Amino acid sequence: MKTGRKLGVGLVTAALAMSVVGCGNNGNGNNASNTASPGTDATKAPATSSSKTEKVKIIYSMWGSAEEGSTTQAVADKFNASQDRIEVEVQAIPWESYMTKLNTLATADQLPDTGMLKEDGVIQWSSQGMLNDVSSMYEGSDSKPLDSLAYKYQGKTVAYAAANEILLLYYNKDMFDKANVPYPPSSLDQAWTWDEFVETAKKLTNDKKGKHPGEEGFDSQSIVQYGASVENLPWQLETWAIGNGGGFYSNDGTEVRIGEDASIEGIQKVADLYLKDHVAPLSVGQTDDGIQRTIIAGTVAMATNGAWNVGTSLNTAKEAGLNYGVAVLPYMKDKVTLNTGGANVVFSQSKHPEEAMEWLKWYNSEENNWALISSGIWMPTLEKWYKDETLTRKWVENPNFPSYDEYKSAVVDYAQSAAARPASWFYTNNTTDFNTLLGSVLGDVWTGKTTAKDAISKNLDALKAAHTGNQ
Amino acid sequence: MEAINKPQKRRSRIYSSEARVAYICLIPAFLGLIFLTYLPLFGVLGISLTNWTGLKSPEFIGFDNYIKLFTTDPYIKDSIIATIYFAVISVIGSMIYSLFIAMLLNRKIPARGFFRAVFYVPYVLPAAAIYVGWSWLYEGNFGFFNYLLSELGLKKILFIADSSYVVPSLSLISVWLAGNLIVIFLAGLQNVPIVYHEAAEMDGANGWQRFRHITLPCMTPIIFYNLLMSLIANLQVVTPALSLTNGGPSNSSRFMTYLMYDQAFVNYKIGYACATTFIIFVILAAFTAVLFKTSGKWIYNEGGDDK
Repeated sequence: MKTGRKLGVGLVTAALAMSVVGCGNNGNGNNASNTASPGTDATKAPATSSSKTEKVKIIYSMWGSAEEGSTTQAVADKFNASQDRIEVEVQAIPWESYMTKLNTLATADQLPDTGMLKEDGVIQWSSQGMLNDVSSMYEGSDSKPLDSLAYKYQGKTVAYAAANEILLLYYNKDMFDKANVPYPPSSLDQAWTWDEFVETAKKLTNDKKGKHPGEEGFDSQSIVQYGASVENLPWQLETWAIGNGGGFYSNDGTEVRIGEDASIEGIQKVADLYLKDHVAPLSVGQTDDGIQRTIIAGTVAMATNGAWNVGTSLNTAKEAGLNYGVAVLPYMKDKVTLNTGGANVVFSQSKHPEEAMEWLKWYNSEENNWALISSGIWMPTLEKWYKDETLTRKWVENPNFPSYDEYKSAVVDYAQSAAARPASWFYTNNTTDFNTLLGSVLGDVWTGKTTAKDAISKNLDALKAAHTGNQ
Repeated sequence: MEAINKPQKRRSRIYSSEARVAYICLIPAFLGLIFLTYLPLFGVLGISLTNWTGLKSPEFIGFDNYIKLFTTDPYIKDSIIATIYFAVISVIGSMIYSLFIAMLLNRKIPARGFFRAVFYVPYVLPAAAIYVGWSWLYEGNFGFFNYLLSELGLKKILFIADSSYVVPSLSLISVWLAGNLIVIFLAGLQNVPIVYHEAAEMDGANGWQRFRHITLPCMTPIIFYNLLMSLIANLQVVTPALSLTNGGPSNSSRFMTYLMYDQAFVNYKIGYACATTFIIFVILAAFTAVLFKTSGKWIYNEGGDDK
């Protein structure tokens, strides 16, 4: 008994001792690796300074895998080799934890000099003094980014989008051919009115017996093919609020306008596609996979969504035999599409803002993002790609894209037309709060339990509070 | 008295040396608890009194976050209701379901081992895969369940797209996932003394009577354990909201943990999220306390207590 107990105590102390030693080892290991990096830096720094004039070191952060990081680093290396003043190091952080990580770095005062920032974070970070003014970046340049791609806070340009994206109407050509209905227009002058859009969608909606909505004997419970789906993610709904003569916010982003009748009616019309017109599948506006659920699933003839889908999902579907086309959005009162694009910013914690801008400007020239652009995920930001036909052809004429004429008219020209309006996060703060709340407020509107009018009026104060960040 | 006192002295010496071993053994667990549970808890309480966003250094704002939560926050009320609603049906559902299945699996049926595995499998499947699978079953337009309904000529049900169906629909998944409860029940059932059953059978008790008066009382400690674990797990529900509904439609599945996640890691209102966290903690603690308080009344202790 006694010896047993002693043995027990001995074992426990041994275990404890080992765990302490274990901790010690770990601690040492960490220390070693911690000291290693400054150590190598210290050995590196004199080497570079002795070889040439001292290079300014800049860190650029991006979202993506380590692999994507090394691709970008390869681009940065070209920049590093092209001049002898700036040395850029790329830091890749996975998308899911990107903003969290940046937040942590900001708290620790260890932000990179420059990097990408999620659309809805730009104005928020500016309002907290975390971003530099980059208005001077393109001074004296021959080609500037499109005007709609500048993020503005209190009149100052605080970032340019790294890519351009606009909202389009995608459609399944085979379904149109089968129903013998003309394709949606790819040119803005001929854009469909909302009613034309709904009428066409009815012709493309079939129930099990092949009947269309409005016909005798049509059964909305057994639809096998839907005519249209308008994406109802909150941020994309702004298109229809503005297009119907209202909007989410005033033009300077200071006032909330979503309570106006025109805005509400625009949103209700989108909901009615499912509720009244019976041409759209139900979607509750919570998941960002609209094109997969509609065009690619082969259940819907027309669907609205962002231009990135050409490269993120439609290119593979096209290879697998999907025959799709692109067209401009229909309109209610005004022709409107939204454009957006994640931002490239210079952080105010940076000690080398000038060098950071120089790198961004170099990096943002399309040649350096060619993989993303030629796959159809990103659209270029610089004007020249939209104005100069040789460049446009270089960009669009490849198998990832729909036919040149169609894409040129429905995307390239559309993006530089007056219809393209910057999404609200280019000039408004707290859009995440506002959109989250709006998404939740509209939840019962899509299923018809309540109307957009009731839902929005009841929550208007909360929406306004969300807009000011005082929710 | 003396006769009792003497051995007690002896016992206390044993106790003290045993206590020493016990304390030594408890040290690692204590350290873990202190540094990974209690200190963070106080940390959360501290941060909840600030307006920390992660970007600028935090400012102390007293109870403003709590005041905001209970006066102007558009989510918290719906969120608490949704969470409790979900937890109550999930817990009741999964208790009944898993006790029932456990009793079936406790019989001498052919391929019993196989069936036990079958019912346990959902519990070990990766959560994301489960929810994607169920989302196809529940989908409102072409989902499998709605396909069946429309084949039967019935009206479609918008399982997770309709604010009044979403919580029961998600609870059903959670009941289906209760394989761990089945295993624990099964272990408990095997400890119900067979002699009681034999005796009752001799006295002419039918199946229901034997269940009601033998199985159930003998199982109460296990039921209590399962109830507690399942209640705590279900009150902290977050995965279905993250993977299926994003809290919608209309807050109907904006569970508290999801709300906290949204505040902290989507909107970066860390201070505010900590206040929400603390409220979640209080609610969990309250439910647990009630369960423990009432447990004495209905738990049957074998050997009994000699009060």
